[in-house]
Amino acid sequence: MTDLELILQTIINSLIFSSFNALFAVGLVLIFGIMQVVNFAHGAIYMVGAFSTWYLYSENGVPFFVAIILSTLLCAALGLFMERVLFRPMRGNLFGGLIVSVGMLFILEVLSVYLFGQGLMKNITPYFRESWHVFGIESITVAHSRLLVFAVATFILGGFWLFMTRTRLGWAMKACAQNPEAAALQGISIGKISMLAMVISAAMAGAGGAVMAPLVRITPHMGSPVLITAFIIMIVGGMGSIEGALIAAFAYSFFHTFVTTYIGGEIATILGLVLMLMFLIVKPTGLMGERESV
Amino acid sequence: MKSNMTRRNFLAGTGGVAAGITALGATPSKVFAGENTVKIGFLAALTGDAAGWGLPGLYGVEIWAEQVNAAGGIEMGGDKYRVEIISYDDEFDAIKATVGAKKLIFEDEVSIVLMLGITPVQAVKDFMTRNKMIVTTLVPTDISADAPYLFALSEVHPFYNVTAVDWIGRNMPNIKTAAIATQNDELGLSSQATYRAAFEVAGIEVIEENLFGFEVTDFAPVVSKLIAANPDVITWDTAYPDYVNLLTEQAYLQGYKGTIVNCTLDQYEHILGKTSKDFMEGFLWQFPDLDDPIMQGGDTHFDNAAAFYKTYSERYPGAWTAVSWEYAASLEMWKTAVGKAGTFDPPTVSDALRGLSPVPHAFGDAEWWGESFFGINSAALGKWPVVQMQNGKAVIVEMGDVRAWMDKHGDVLIKHFKALGVPTSA
Repeated sequence: MTDLELILQTIINSLIFSSFNALFAVGLVLIFGIMQVVNFAHGAIYMVGAFSTWYLYSENGVPFFVAIILSTLLCAALGLFMERVLFRPMRGNLFGGLIVSVGMLFILEVLSVYLFGQGLMKNITPYFRESWHVFGIESITVAHSRLLVFAVATFILGGFWLFMTRTRLGWAMKACAQNPEAAALQGISIGKISMLAMVISAAMAGAGGAVMAPLVRITPHMGSPVLITAFIIMIVGGMGSIEGALIAAFAYSFFHTFVTTYIGGEIATILGLVLMLMFLIVKPTGLMGERESV
Repeated sequence: MKSNMTRRNFLAGTGGVAAGITALGATPSKVFAGENTVKIGFLAALTGDAAGWGLPGLYGVEIWAEQVNAAGGIEMGGDKYRVEIISYDDEFDAIKATVGAKKLIFEDEVSIVLMLGITPVQAVKDFMTRNKMIVTTLVPTDISADAPYLFALSEVHPFYNVTAVDWIGRNMPNIKTAAIATQNDELGLSSQATYRAAFEVAGIEVIEENLFGFEVTDFAPVVSKLIAANPDVITWDTAYPDYVNLLTEQAYLQGYKGTIVNCTLDQYEHILGKTSKDFMEGFLWQFPDLDDPIMQGGDTHFDNAAAFYKTYSERYPGAWTAVSWEYAASLEMWKTAVGKAGTFDPPTVSDALRGLSPVPHAFGDAEWWGESFFGINSAALGKWPVVQMQNGKAVIVEMGDVRAWMDKHGDVLIKHFKALGVPTSA
């Protein structure tokens, strides 16, 4: 493999990693923006998406794409439950929502241990076994299973962008995020918008878990490192900013992947955190965050 | 979207929650009462990243205990004693290991404690020594002169990794370059030093190395860089079982055509399912299936190895790993020492263990070793198999002589241990 081919391979690896990180982080940011909840259970919902795909597809023979859709719907339903039962009573209570989400994280992790046991990762026999040789170059490859991640993330984020910019519900969601009281005075139901936001957010995490399932370790705690990455993206992008999260997801993922490739995996994580701290010193509000007035 | 929460509030809240997440609860997983019972402690990771080297071992120990109890128990002083296994999950965490160790000694009053190694062992080493408790580790780098009751009975990790590389050097002369990737921890580094030494002795140049952390979720860039260097052989060193699984799959998906040599290949049926029989053909590692013909006699010392493997595989299909038999093999050696000591008293049994010569290791006669590296001869060092994937099945291709290699090239290994900062008294 030549130097140029390695650069191209790394760009492709970065794009795949970026697309997943963006999908996951946007869901987290959406909930923070609308409901003012730091949802620690977001990683656990991702775990539920992966586990249910494994259970449906590998253990029960449900067709792979049907399993992905069912897993996403399951996570969306989980999001609906969390909003109605957990977050809604805590509305306006910043730390109450946070603590409730941590409780949900523990419940989901323990439940997965109880249902499926612990130990080594669950294995999904891959639906796709082949790789695509990019531009016909033998040494530059993308596994079809990774292409699926990119395609699903792009499809969902694209649909979400259209929803937010072209529909009345999307506008209402933006209004709720910007000024909930004014939105309520305009007749927008904060409860319904919160519920919708939570369903979308959980579906994003669940879909991410479902398509990543064949590529990662399926364990009860698999959501933790992904959640930490999403927090970094959320802070760098600007608290509550979806546009910022998208930009930060791509910037962080490219940075992390290139450093992993050319220096080392552990250095990449350390440098990623250092970069985040330096960025916050220079621009404390994050990329797209707004400075608060006192 | 605009937020009303300040970053300070957010960070304070998340920090508080993160601290709360570290809560621990260690409870015994199985206790059964009975007269004339000898209690054996099992203190290793049953959850978390290292669970792959704990939980399968507990399964094996439980099968061993069943077989011993079915045969009437352990004979000592003319009486028969039933074996009772008491296990705690240390999650590969120092604090949880300490809690478990205290329970095993003060509440459960066990006669021996089986552990995985590294951080949990280091955390309890002094406590165990003060209480004169026999502890076994699978990682010889844990042993030291100030811990006379700590033994590496079954496994001499990472030293046995030299045998597969030595085999490559003698049987695959076309291999000239190597690349290494593993997690950056004590286990990974000591193994990295060993592979470096083994490759050097075999005349193979290491042209690429990549260390990664525990938070890694995407192994594609790690593998891309390794493959880009065009090595003849790749090793994942002593990467955790799940990492080996995902790294090997990535190598397959990225079209790697060379040889892979590794410490472990746990649950290889799953990896075969994710890759292909052709891709995995020739994969070299260090841990056999115990139904291998070579394990059924000769100078091996694991009673009913094939029956043990059969029971394990039937009860836990596809769950066989490197450690499935190792904790049980340590108990086999301890049982021999108990027979010679005529007591379960740990210090007396410890003396009896040291008196065994040769040491009846599962892979053949061994000798006590370790003073040159760790200041005390507490590791059973002898032969270790080189295992190769042949037509989808693990096959022992050679019983390598670790002791002979160490006698001849120990200085090279010490050089690489020191270069990577791996503790040694040499």
